[in-house]
Amino acid sequence: MFTKILVANRGEIAVRIIRACREMGIKTVAVYSEADRDSLHTLLADEAICIGPAPSDKSYLNMERIISATVAMKAEAIHPGFGFLSENARFAELCEKCSITFIGPPAGLINKMGNKSEARKTMIEAGVPVVPGSREPVYKAEEAKAMAEEIGYPVMIKASSGGGGKGMRISYGPDDFETNFLNAQMESVKGFSDDTMYLERYIEKPRHIEFQIMADKQGHVVHLGERDCSIQRRHQKVLEESPSIAISQELRKKMGETAVRAARAVGYENAGTIEFLLDKDKNFYFMEMNTRIQVEHPVTEMVTGMDLIKEQIRIAAGEPLSVTQDEVRIQGHAIECRINAENPAKHFMPCPGLITNVHTPGGNGIRVDSHIYCDYRVPPNYDSMLLKLIVYGKDRESAIAKMRSALGELVIEGIETNLDFQYEILNHEAFVKGDIDTHFIPTYFPQYGK
Amino acid sequence: MLKDMFKKTYTLIDTKYKGQTREPNVPEGLWRKCRKCGQPVYRDDVMDSLYTCPKCKAYFRVHAFRRIEITADKGSFEEWDSAMEFGNPLDFPGYEDKVREAREKTRLNEAIVTGKCLINGEKTALGVCDSRFLMSSMGHVVGEKITRMVERATEQRLPVIIFACSGGARMQEGCVSLMQMAKTSGALKRHHEAGLFFISVLTDPTTGGVTASFAMLGDVILAEPGALIGFAGPRVIQQTIGQKLPEGFQRSEFLLDHGFVDKIVPREEMRDTLGKLLHMHQVSGARRLDGVCGEKSGIEADMAAGNGETQKADGGKTAVKNEAAGNGSEQKAENEFASGKTAWEHVQLSRRTDRPTALDYIEELFDDFIELHGDRYYGDDGAVVGGIAMFHGQAVTVIGQQKGKTTKENISRNFGMPSPEGYRKALRLMKQAELFGRPVICFVDTPGAFCGIEAEERGQGEAIARNLFELSDLKVPVLSIVIGEGGSGGALAMAVANEVWMMENAIYSVLSPEGFASILWKDSKRAKEAAEVMKITAGDLLKLRVIDKVIPEREPACGDNLKEIAWYMEEKICGFLEEYGNLESEDLQKQRYERFCGI
Repeated sequence: MFTKILVANRGEIAVRIIRACREMGIKTVAVYSEADRDSLHTLLADEAICIGPAPSDKSYLNMERIISATVAMKAEAIHPGFGFLSENARFAELCEKCSITFIGPPAGLINKMGNKSEARKTMIEAGVPVVPGSREPVYKAEEAKAMAEEIGYPVMIKASSGGGGKGMRISYGPDDFETNFLNAQMESVKGFSDDTMYLERYIEKPRHIEFQIMADKQGHVVHLGERDCSIQRRHQKVLEESPSIAISQELRKKMGETAVRAARAVGYENAGTIEFLLDKDKNFYFMEMNTRIQVEHPVTEMVTGMDLIKEQIRIAAGEPLSVTQDEVRIQGHAIECRINAENPAKHFMPCPGLITNVHTPGGNGIRVDSHIYCDYRVPPNYDSMLLKLIVYGKDRESAIAKMRSALGELVIEGIETNLDFQYEILNHEAFVKGDIDTHFIPTYFPQYGK
Repeated sequence: MLKDMFKKTYTLIDTKYKGQTREPNVPEGLWRKCRKCGQPVYRDDVMDSLYTCPKCKAYFRVHAFRRIEITADKGSFEEWDSAMEFGNPLDFPGYEDKVREAREKTRLNEAIVTGKCLINGEKTALGVCDSRFLMSSMGHVVGEKITRMVERATEQRLPVIIFACSGGARMQEGCVSLMQMAKTSGALKRHHEAGLFFISVLTDPTTGGVTASFAMLGDVILAEPGALIGFAGPRVIQQTIGQKLPEGFQRSEFLLDHGFVDKIVPREEMRDTLGKLLHMHQVSGARRLDGVCGEKSGIEADMAAGNGETQKADGGKTAVKNEAAGNGSEQKAENEFASGKTAWEHVQLSRRTDRPTALDYIEELFDDFIELHGDRYYGDDGAVVGGIAMFHGQAVTVIGQQKGKTTKENISRNFGMPSPEGYRKALRLMKQAELFGRPVICFVDTPGAFCGIEAEERGQGEAIARNLFELSDLKVPVLSIVIGEGGSGGALAMAVANEVWMMENAIYSVLSPEGFASILWKDSKRAKEAAEVMKITAGDLLKLRVIDKVIPEREPACGDNLKEIAWYMEEKICGFLEEYGNLESEDLQKQRYERFCGI
């Protein structure tokens, strides 16, 4: 096992990693920017080293500084957390060259999965379903129509240069295809002087379902069930839960096995997440693979009883997985709410500043992952996430009740947060019923969807 | 407040860690240090970003063979004169040792590598200086290698590209080094006289005798951003004049502003830019436009409908046309063009700020436009734009007077009023077109030549006169299109052409109506009246045979109908090039001369 790990991140996840190391008896080195001198990760780690000024590109993204700090502090491994350098193949490669263990998959894998078209190709080869679509550009309505037949309706018609909904149409059948295609193309020609179009199966009201994967250096791969992350605002996850109400035991097995197959196909190592779109008929399609620990990993920890960060560290140190697939038991229900320093009334504008008072809920089945404390000043330079509130109940109903109670008890004063917005979601009828998809926020909270 | 309050929990694990056998360390050479920002940067990142700093984007100097690798098509480089003998002409003490050391360090035989290669499939001779070798100073070996390369290129009819980078003459070789300047320049002159193309690429640093010889002689001179380029070094200048030098002095951007560099090309675009330029010089002169047009038919009738424009049925006997002008019924019909607007309305339309500018038409009509800057004497005039572009597979030189659409743009474009350096830039590009056999297409749109002290100091009158003089017998076809205001001599300096066309709502005049009224009637407010009597509209000038064709505007030209108008114009230009492209240069010169003699 490692004796010292450098945590190349900040905020809540850095604290989370440091805590795991503390429990494992491993020494920790925090890196911090000049804006993070008083941040909890800096204070909690055994050692801390400043790596530059506040802007991320000069500190938390500065590979050379972080590597030099690791060598200087004699840490054997780097945990990159999420964001920043966590999915930077170059950084993983640098670690390797400097005899530092990168706690995550090898550089080649990060690269492979980071390239969308290559990842798609790999998945098709491994027999993992992907969203059917044209990989070749199409220009003529007639050709496109034949292609649409092959892909299957409804079809999304997308302009290559399109954006913001422009040059985008959905066709529900052969009757409305031509009109929609020509309209979308016309829009693109007018707006972007480009008539290059692509087609893709349109997935109606999809859920965002992702599977947690763990793989060790010995070639064992397990999945730890799914997370339902359909509650999103502009592709940013807001609330996640596990398990998903839409997934039967049978489907879980099928999707889980597919995810494991995908991970095996690329020879995956360490923690990873395979994201799927699940349509209303329970067809699922591969979207992408994240080659790092996820923000929402605690919900999986709650329902499996595992510590994913510790597992990551053990795998990186060469130890085999602590469980086999048969030993993975998914019990109860967990929900996570992300509490951010942002103002929903002002288009979720980030609201950094001084936190004058904090009270966090506690008690049975309640977990708070955060780096904030009373009199902590949230710097304006980074992500606005302040706290993750996670609850665990025996079923979804009791988890929702617990989350409502916990949100009601959480107090953060001094800056604006999205706490009330989360509370509204928890009380929304459709959410309570489990009738959710990725359009949940734009549908039910149009004022916040913008 | 939480500082030093947490208990430490680590237990020194008795480690039997197997995964790792070595201590973490940074291997030698993994980092490079950026000279500009001082940051350590990862070697592979530097290589992948074409030897630039991934942090501050500063340029690293590139070794000769690396440069060839990132410029030439893979495996296409064939080196010439790789083993030229070295001598010590002055018996300068220690010089041999210095050269030997440099050879060992760089594994190069001298400070330049020459040879031939392909760039995007185009053949060229290529010379690349290497600053690691005695600051790439020019001694007799460097001079000889360049001369031989240029001579060989002349023999094989190849273009030449030289990536210059040098501290100047090689001091250890005294006057022998100085003579290399004359030798290389002489070889390039012969290459030039043979009608061959030379691109000089200036990289950091290009100074002294190299700047004062081959580096500044390119038909096209490109520079990398931020490169130090100058004759005397900045330190020497500062010591001599005892003044602090301004920020950015002698950098590429400074030279661009002062008219000595055609274009600053970022490293990642260099290969493509060179490839395009080579291609354009392959096809120009070599290929005439044959039957590429004529696909667009409906549009013409469509455009002409309702505005009285009559098509010329001229089959190509242009030389005869001027003599016969005014006699045949064909010509008579052409003389009748009425737009139904008053002259003053035309004046106002021609001045509208939403009217498409020269660059708008260039963008619509041509492909791969490469703008070239500078008059090579004093500056680069924003009121004149010019460069090389492709038109239906043929290279053409395009020049336009450019107005701005906003106040800010207009300040940099000087409201479309060219200065002497603008006319000199235009002339330089026209002469280049002549050398390489490219037709010239001009877009005229100016209220008049710039009227100011500086313009007079630098010879506004001389610059205009020179253009009329040189244009009158240019050996290639010249077409001028008045797209907005054709203001006086300032317009004519770019309109001594084989044919002059006007947009329906353009004007072309000896003076602005305001100026006319103020001179003749001492009252500039009578401009409206002046406009009517001056005969400045397309219809009037067609009758006077000052122009040859009217480009109809069904609606006044603006961004919305630009495509439509350009489409029509494109077809007409095709016709022009088909007609004039096949004429001998004597016929072109004669036709142009007689065109003006006939007015």
